[in-house]
Amino acid sequence: MNGKKHQYNMQWQLAIGCSLTLLSMGCNRAAELVGDTPNSEASVVMEYDYEKDVLPVFARYCYDCHGDDMDKGGVALDTYPSHAELVADKKTWLMVRENLVTRLMPPAEKPQPTSEELAIMKAWLDREVFQLDPAHPDPGRVTIRRLNRQEYNNTIRDMVGVDFQPAQDFPQDNTGYGFDNIGDVLSLSPLLLEKYLDAAEEVIDMALVKSPSPTRMEKLDSSTFDGGHMSGPATRVLSTEGAMHVYHEFPEAGEYMVVIKAFGDQAGDEPVEMEVDVMSDGWPSKEFKVQAEKGRPDLYEYRVKENTPGRRKIEIEFTNDYYTAKKGERPAQDRNLYVEYVAIEGPLADKEFEVPESHRRIYVVEPQSEDDYDAVRRILENFALRAYRRPPADAEIEKLVELVRLARREGDTLDVGIRIALQAVLVSPQFLFRGELQDQPDNPKEIVPVTEYDLASRLSYFIWSSAPDDILMDLASRGGLRANLRTQVKRMLDDPRSYALAENFAGQWLSLRKLESVMPDREVFRSWNDGLREAMIQETRLFFTSIQREDRDLMNFINADYTFVNEQLAKHYDIPGVAGPYFQRVRLDTSKRGGILSHASVLTLTSNPTRTSPVKRGSWVLDKILGTPPPPPPPTVPPIEDSEIAGRKLTFREMLEMHAEQPGCSSCHKRMDPLGLGLEGFDGIGAWRTKEEGVTLDLSGKLISGQTFSGFAELRDILSREQADLFIRCVTKMMMTYAYGRGLEVFDEPEVERAVAHIMDNGNRFSELIWAVVDSAGFQMRRGDPKGRSLANEDKLQ
Amino acid sequence: MKTRQIPRRTFLKGAGTALALPGLEAMAPLASTAANPGGDPLRMAFVYAPNGMIMKYWTPEGKGSEYNLPQTLAPLQSVKSEIQVVSGLNHDKAEANGDGGGDHARANATFLTGRQAKKTSGKDIRIGVSVDQLAAQKIGHHTRFKSLELSCDKTRQTGNCDSGYSCAYNHNISWSSERTPVPAEVNPRAVFERLFAGASSREAMEARKRRMTYRKSILDTVMDDARGMQSRLGYTDRQKLDEYLDSVREIEQRIERAEQLDLHIPDVSLKPEGIPKSYKEHMRLMFDLMVLAFQTDTTRISTFMMAHDGSNRSFREIGIGEGHHHLSHHNNRKDWVEKLAKIDHFYVEQYAYFLKKLQSIPEGSGTLLDHCMIVYGSGISDGNRHDHDNLPVILAGQGNGTLQTGRHLKLPGDPPMTNLFLSMLDRMGVEEQRFGDSTGRLEQIS
Repeated sequence: MNGKKHQYNMQWQLAIGCSLTLLSMGCNRAAELVGDTPNSEASVVMEYDYEKDVLPVFARYCYDCHGDDMDKGGVALDTYPSHAELVADKKTWLMVRENLVTRLMPPAEKPQPTSEELAIMKAWLDREVFQLDPAHPDPGRVTIRRLNRQEYNNTIRDMVGVDFQPAQDFPQDNTGYGFDNIGDVLSLSPLLLEKYLDAAEEVIDMALVKSPSPTRMEKLDSSTFDGGHMSGPATRVLSTEGAMHVYHEFPEAGEYMVVIKAFGDQAGDEPVEMEVDVMSDGWPSKEFKVQAEKGRPDLYEYRVKENTPGRRKIEIEFTNDYYTAKKGERPAQDRNLYVEYVAIEGPLADKEFEVPESHRRIYVVEPQSEDDYDAVRRILENFALRAYRRPPADAEIEKLVELVRLARREGDTLDVGIRIALQAVLVSPQFLFRGELQDQPDNPKEIVPVTEYDLASRLSYFIWSSAPDDILMDLASRGGLRANLRTQVKRMLDDPRSYALAENFAGQWLSLRKLESVMPDREVFRSWNDGLREAMIQETRLFFTSIQREDRDLMNFINADYTFVNEQLAKHYDIPGVAGPYFQRVRLDTSKRGGILSHASVLTLTSNPTRTSPVKRGSWVLDKILGTPPPPPPPTVPPIEDSEIAGRKLTFREMLEMHAEQPGCSSCHKRMDPLGLGLEGFDGIGAWRTKEEGVTLDLSGKLISGQTFSGFAELRDILSREQADLFIRCVTKMMMTYAYGRGLEVFDEPEVERAVAHIMDNGNRFSELIWAVVDSAGFQMRRGDPKGRSLANEDKLQ
Repeated sequence: MKTRQIPRRTFLKGAGTALALPGLEAMAPLASTAANPGGDPLRMAFVYAPNGMIMKYWTPEGKGSEYNLPQTLAPLQSVKSEIQVVSGLNHDKAEANGDGGGDHARANATFLTGRQAKKTSGKDIRIGVSVDQLAAQKIGHHTRFKSLELSCDKTRQTGNCDSGYSCAYNHNISWSSERTPVPAEVNPRAVFERLFAGASSREAMEARKRRMTYRKSILDTVMDDARGMQSRLGYTDRQKLDEYLDSVREIEQRIERAEQLDLHIPDVSLKPEGIPKSYKEHMRLMFDLMVLAFQTDTTRISTFMMAHDGSNRSFREIGIGEGHHHLSHHNNRKDWVEKLAKIDHFYVEQYAYFLKKLQSIPEGSGTLLDHCMIVYGSGISDGNRHDHDNLPVILAGQGNGTLQTGRHLKLPGDPPMTNLFLSMLDRMGVEEQRFGDSTGRLEQIS
């Protein structure tokens, strides 16, 4: 196979009107695509005649196996009764196109077409079979997307400023095309709606401070107390040591002032002592010296804190009785305590209390009265703007205000009403779905740029998995987002929220999330534990983030000479000198490690619980790195591992060779197995090894594309040097799928190719990948829905 | 309309040892319900076990009542008289039928639908309404919850789930429409709170009532929002929004039913914590919740996917370190086959726990199990070869006296699994002429 770098973009790049670089200087891709400006450069597409130009090329390179009475794999390209039927067989031609583009065909050992010949075949396919017009790409149409769990959590976090993960208990989201943000499969069930209702309640409760109840004063006359006895109509007396008490219901938790109006008969050498106790857990009683005398009672204050509402006993004890009636002394020396009433004031407003950020974000204004509907409207408008990611209509606000009025009619406070209305916002389809409303939604011919607000959401959910922030919303409101797109994308990538790409994009692209559920056998892998599992996931996320933050060459994913380890992972990798739980960047001995293929995360999730699986690893590389996933194995074929012959256990290499010879197995295994065998230097949890069960491993191999290697390092170098274009194409398609929220179709191909060319022309920088996706038709535009049936493009590209 | 009395006080102990319900005998006699005048309501549940079975250890020797339980079914010994081992049922729609690989996705998706899953990674997922959901849609309004869906799969695979099938097929056995899977709840605490939220104290009831009043108003408002969006959404979008509207209606109805049914919610002093570390305890807690839901007539229909088909979990609790799916392609290796048999046995043990628990609860003149139909099975028989014929199936409970238990039923003529479902639907009071690929009713079960 000819592995010339850049062959793809040099030869196949179709002319494009407004170059990506120019775009940043104000050239507007959406406007260009709508076709307002004639696209002069786009017209150089060549037209080829099938019989004269195309057929001879197919005949020369394909008919050895797929023509002239040969139909290997059930494919023959020369048996169509008519040209119309030939062109109509899109399924076969799609396969042909994919195989040519990814260089799977013709096989390496067969003669290879020149770049010109490849270009001819492809140009014919694109124009005549698939009717692709690179100058007017079909943007496709994403199905209305429900927020997934991650997006819901992040959106709430950014809206109210508290990160409390309300989606924790939501049912798992379904995935399609490898991602969990695909509109078509994100369904909504009654169970989920119920969770939304609960979460809305919880979110609002946690974000808002409890409105302080009006402080109330309640007076408990001592005539209603028990203990002691009445001395006059309104005064209760304790004339010996003892207590009086009364019960009181504290309506809610909070601080209260308990005020006792009391006086004493003073006698002896100390004043009357009174101990007051509110019998709730843990709050200390308080002692008073009651100096006041009959006729001039005083108020004694006791501040208490009740942690829960409820009925409490208030006890007033007289603790220092004194009585002498010596002969000749008149009157007798008698000390007594008199209580007129106990007043309870509260709950007291807490002066120390600071209104939290989350509250201020929602209550942008505090209502001045229970009928301050102007304030209500302002609060709801602000909240709905953030939640719906566009300005709410007046009618929408009025419906919400109606909920507030309803609560008032039910006898609740304005605050309660506002909370109900806020909950309704969080359960509204306008919040839960990213619906991109259109004037002619069912007209597939109607291709329009998405609105600035919708573009803001597309950007923020793509890069942050969250709602647009004030800056994006502000630009959108002024119609200035498209004009500042490149700056905004850069700003968003620099923002910490872009870590969502590592968690959600990389987590799914590389199947990292699967690592959370793998269960390596600890009998075999003694060092395996949850700490190691976490460290593996963290390594790959940090690594992804480093490429993103440092705007590195995407090829570093494969050939980097550094990684991130903590002590546990460093030990696992035999890297000396790393201590502690924190991750640090280390340089690697690139003969043993470097790039994601050598990350323990990837190596573990592609292993079986007790040992490695070169087949799974090979299949993973084909799928995730080269973008050429193998078809599934035929169901009845036994797995090749662990076969025995004449009682002797075969080495894996031997079994594999045997297996690969079987018809029906060879074509795929010859692609997968060498890749996996090259990674056999890593055990089932990614530790370096040279032997398995005492036998020195042979790590050499030959790829189906012809190159040979002696071990991991050479395999990695072949992939990064000679398959770079395939990797860039693969990661671009993954990123587009993730950004678009739909599977890619053949009509997306011109935009895929355009993006790949742009990325490769710009040093494979990570930021250029993101930019190329943002700047593509599928991201910028939207078309009407052909009722779920697009005949021409039904075949999915893959 | 009134439902049955519910135990005054329910204790939920820790995981596994589970939800004991003391004082049941003190309960008032069962009231008959509008749905079942004069009788105990009939319940129906489906328990899914993944990756097929080692059939030689599953299928009993002998037939009719003259049979012995083979090793995998040994845990069912004490309830042998309450079950039928049903041999010979098939799921033809789980076969490739031209769609190529993906047997695990199909096994799962076809199990309760009896339909061929449309092969797609995402766009246009389509299969069919599952038997439990069909029943829920027809008779679910008699109880507070139409149905209860449970699973023990904590995390989901992402990426291509099985040979080009969307993961939606792999992880759901219940489908409320041909496009809409019904997600299952995994966390026992969340299940409990959803079913029995709100303690029974007077204030809590009052607060709950008011909360529900507001909830209904919120739902009215958002329903309006959804309708307002419809005209500016495309065809496919509107289908998605319909899921939303259906869910809003369902919750509204549920609130109304709760009001009409004058509920006594069990006063629960202990609640299940989150997901137990032990798989066995997790499964048992889920079974406990199903028992509680049936016993309190909170629902009459439930599904429980112990693990999805293709599950590669290992079983440290019984000393098996390899993944289940990996082992299932045993190629007749003896040690692998024995390990698989152990896994099959482990799953059956948990099912036996469920049946015994149902049996331990007196109801009417019999036990709760007498008023149940509990199907246990897998969408694959031989996991090594991905066979979808002669499926391993057990039907437990006497179905209110309509099922003849205590025997091994060997069915001639390869009937489809859906014939069994059709006959079960009859008993639930749901009259259908056909279900999935059914060819008739399975008269032999009675």
